Formats: sequence, C-alpha cells, structure tokens
Amino acid sequence: MAALPIQGIVRGDFVVHLVAVDDTDSVATVADKVAQHVVGRRLPPHEGERSVLVAGEVVDADQTIAQAGVGPLDVVEVVLG
Amino acid sequence: MPKLARSQWYDLTRDMNWDLRYVSEEEAFPTDMSDARGVPAQEWWRWDEPYKISYGEYVHNQADKDASVYSVNSAIGRSHIFEDLDAGWRSAIVAHYGAIAVPEYVAGIGESRMARFGRAAAWRNMATYGTLDETRHGQIQAYFAHSLLDKEPRADWAHKALHTNEWGAIAARSLFDDMFTGNDAVSTALQLTFTFETGFTNLQFLGMAADALKVGDVDFGALISSIQTDEARHAQQGEPTLRILVANGQKQEAQRLIEHMFWRSWHVFALLTGLSMDYYTPLEQRNHSFKEFMNEWIVKQFMDQFRDFGMDLPWYWEEHFLSELDWYHHALHLGVWFWRPTVWWNPDAGVSPDERDWFEDKYPGWNDSFGRWWDVIGENARRGEIAQTLPETFPMVCNMCQIPVVTPAGYAAGYLSSTVPHVLDYNGRRYTFCSVPCKWIFESSPERFAGHTTIVDRLLGGEIQPPTVEGALRYMGLSPEECGDDATGYAWAHATRSAPSAAGVA
Repeated sequence: MAALPIQGIVRGDFVVHLVAVDDTDSVATVADKVAQHVVGRRLPPHEGERSVLVAGEVVDADQTIAQAGVGPLDVVEVVLG
Repeated sequence: MPKLARSQWYDLTRDMNWDLRYVSEEEAFPTDMSDARGVPAQEWWRWDEPYKISYGEYVHNQADKDASVYSVNSAIGRSHIFEDLDAGWRSAIVAHYGAIAVPEYVAGIGESRMARFGRAAAWRNMATYGTLDETRHGQIQAYFAHSLLDKEPRADWAHKALHTNEWGAIAARSLFDDMFTGNDAVSTALQLTFTFETGFTNLQFLGMAADALKVGDVDFGALISSIQTDEARHAQQGEPTLRILVANGQKQEAQRLIEHMFWRSWHVFALLTGLSMDYYTPLEQRNHSFKEFMNEWIVKQFMDQFRDFGMDLPWYWEEHFLSELDWYHHALHLGVWFWRPTVWWNPDAGVSPDERDWFEDKYPGWNDSFGRWWDVIGENARRGEIAQTLPETFPMVCNMCQIPVVTPAGYAAGYLSSTVPHVLDYNGRRYTFCSVPCKWIFESSPERFAGHTTIVDRLLGGEIQPPTVEGALRYMGLSPEECGDDATGYAWAHATRSAPSAAGVA
C-alpha cells in the first residue's frame, strides 16, 4: 500500500483538487474520496450512481486504482449519475 | 548668465551614444543582461521616446505629486474614513497593498537594468527615471499601508506578503521574476513596459482609482492615480524598443515576447483586479464590470496598438483570451473565497440576491453556471455549517501562472471542451497547466521554468509539514489571526432582494 496523490475532478464542479488516496483503494473508494470535497459543499447531496473516468475512459469500480492504470498526479474524473 | 532654451541642450544630454573601443560590445552589454537580438548597436541609437523630460522637471513634478498625495494621507489618517468604508472594499485595498507594494519596489531592478543595459543613451536616461518611479511606488504604498495598521493589522502584508510563501505571493513573484527580476533589458522593455504597464496597470491603477473615489476612499484614489502618472511615462520605453525590433526583422521575436507576457499578466490581473472590481466593490458604486473595463482598456487598446505596429493579434486571442473574459475570474473568485484562510484579506462573497441580478445582467448565464455553486454554499452558511464551506485539501495549481486550476469551471460554463487540465511530462517530472497558453509558455522555454515549484509541488516534495491545510497555512506565513474570513460574516447568504425602486415599478 502506498500513498498516491491524484488530480481529482467531479464533473459539474469548478476546480481540480489534489486528493491523497492509496494505490490499493478501489476505484469506488477513490470516487468517494474525490467527491467528499465537492458533494454537499458546492454540488447538492447525491446518493445515486457514480462513474469514474481515467484518460477519458470509464473504469471498473471494483478494481484498485493502481489496476486502473492511475499513477501519481494522473487525472481521475468522477461523474455523478 | 543666460540659460539655454531646453530644445538647445536636451538631445545632447539625453542621447549621447558612443562607439566602444576599450571593451567589446558583448563585454559592455552581455547578452544575459541586454540581448539585442542581433540588432546592430547604431540601429538602437534611433531609439526615441515619445514623452521627454529633464531631470530638473522630473524632480519638480515628483515633489509636487508627493506633497499632494501625502497631504491627503495625513488628513485622512486623522479621520474614520477607512473604518467606515465597505468591508469588501477594505479587502480590495489590503489585497492590493500585499500584491503590489513590494513588486513595485522590485520593478526598480528591471528599470535599473534597462538604465544600465538599455541599448541607447536616451533609453537609459528614461529608465533612470523609471527606477526612481518604482522606488517611489514601493515606498509610498508601504507608507500608506503602514498608516492603516491601527485600523487593519493585516495592512502589514504590504511589506510581508512578497517575503512569504503564501500562494498568491508565489504567483506574483513567479510573474515578476519572469517579467523583470530575471529578464534582459530588451525583453523587459517589451514585457514590463509595453505589455504590462501600458495596458494592465491602467486597469488596476486608473480603474480602481475611479472606483475608490466613488466609494469615498479618497486616500487610495489619490495614491494610485498619482502612481499611474509615473507608469504612463515610463511605460513608453516599450514602444520605441518595439519599433526598432520590428524595423530590424525581429517582429516574430517581439510577437513571442508580448504574447508570453500578455497571457501571464492577464491571469494575475484576473485574480487581483477581477475580484476587486466585480465582487469586492460595493454594488452601488459598481458601474462597469471587470469585463467591460477589460474590453475598453485592454482589448481595444491592444488591438489598436498591434494594428499600428503591424503586429498580429496573439494566437490565443479569440479562442482562449476573449473566451476567458466571461468565466475565468468568476471561477478564481469562488476558489479564493472557498480557500479564504489562505489569503491575507477577507474575501467578500459578493453574491447577495441583488448582486446576483447584477451578474446576470453583466454576464448572462452567470446564475446557471456560477450561481448554482453559490446556492449550495449559501445553504450551508444559512444552516451554520461553516465547515462545509471550507477546504479539506488543496486545489491543483498551474505550473506556469501558479494559480489554481479551474478548467472544470470553464467546462461547466460551456467555454471549454473538457474539464481536464493540460499535463506535460518533462525530464521525469509531471507539470500541470490551467490553459493551453500557460502550457505553450512553458514549452517555449522549458529550461527557464522547469525548476520552479508550485505550492502543491512543495507539499508533495515534503517541504510543508505537516502536509495538511493547517501545515500549509503555517508554511504560507498565515497565523490564525491573519487568515482570511468572509468579509461580511455571511450577511450575503441571509440577504433578500431589494424592493424595486419607484421608477422600476412604474
């Protein structure tokens, strides 16, 4: 397990965040870690589906973020369903 | 003894050039300091400034200006005018002093480099006045800010800001080091005087002076309009320098220098002046929007100047610059307000219902794009959930302009095709840019910029301990008492729309 800083975006928000995750985090967990800086703060509360884009492609939520090919300071975009 | 008429001695004293015999041209004017771009020495001797002044006249004028401005400051200092000013306007003043006072003093280095390494005696003469001007501007703005200390302790950031690693101070240092502290004389003339001072300082010093008089801040209005009279004079070093470069086949190089610095200046002024004009100036005194000022004083002026010199508009003009006028500073304002503990002034949200109506009028679509974020923030403020309106991490920061990356705002507002920032891997390091022009500036001379670290790079590199928001505030020199907070105690979130005026009802 290693710390992995990523550039996190929630589509519909205004800014790119630096988000600290672990490379063993699942993609779903990373989505939560990114969204917590935005949802309920600048976007309304959201309980529904969310998908995660890496390099413009939707990635499987159950794999780890490292398995999704995300490295340090790669951009991870969360799209609220 | 009869005195000679000015016209009989002026040219001889201001423009005495000579051929070098004891040293080489390169020894007298090293490329690092001067960089003539291959233009022969005697071509530079055609350099001719449009505004002429003798040293005696200069001293006389400056003494009069100082006497006038300091007397206003002395009279105002005994009043309660500052305390009675609008809270948002006071924030604009405190932000201005921190961002401008010391950089003006440092600009004296750029002017004095031109005073020594400018390629014509007339230019060196003009730059000598410029050095004295910038020394004056550093001193007078530090003095005025100092006179506010018993009313606003953070006025000491006029001196402190540029000596800290506060993120805005890093952005200002990065810009000004590129523009003049670490620049050759020829580039400085085009980038500091032609690009920055001819256009952008008008915005902060004349636009804000007009706003100052409207809000009743006679002190600040007198100060910055006096400064601008100096800027308008020494800014004229750019035009003759540009003429000589263009006449000697260096138009493309001149174009590159101006495009580079126009973009960097735009981003910093969007941050400083954009917020002050559109959000911190009280609504009642806010006649023109920042975009209207930009259109009148930057867009039109630069288009006229570029046409006069036979230059092309910057390659990014339509697609990136004019587009950003509609959204960029609104995104920066939201970011500065959300990360308000990281600045030395109290950001004024400036989004009461009446103000939102004004934004919708000046920037159609503002409520749909920016207003919806403020809806959520306002709801949290009304519930007293202030923690939800504060950050728990950092924004990514652009490796060129050093300003937070707000590409998602440009996408959400319909001006960008993607939310994603522009990334470059160079010599094993990842660089992130907020815009295509910021990346272009880096790639034009990567060796010049690659070693610089943003506040986020420093966090990731372990310079900031602990690596938390609190650790970063300490790193930035912000004690809890100095951290910014909402300027009005969230009054905007509880405000209701004003009743329509009688005229409006009729």
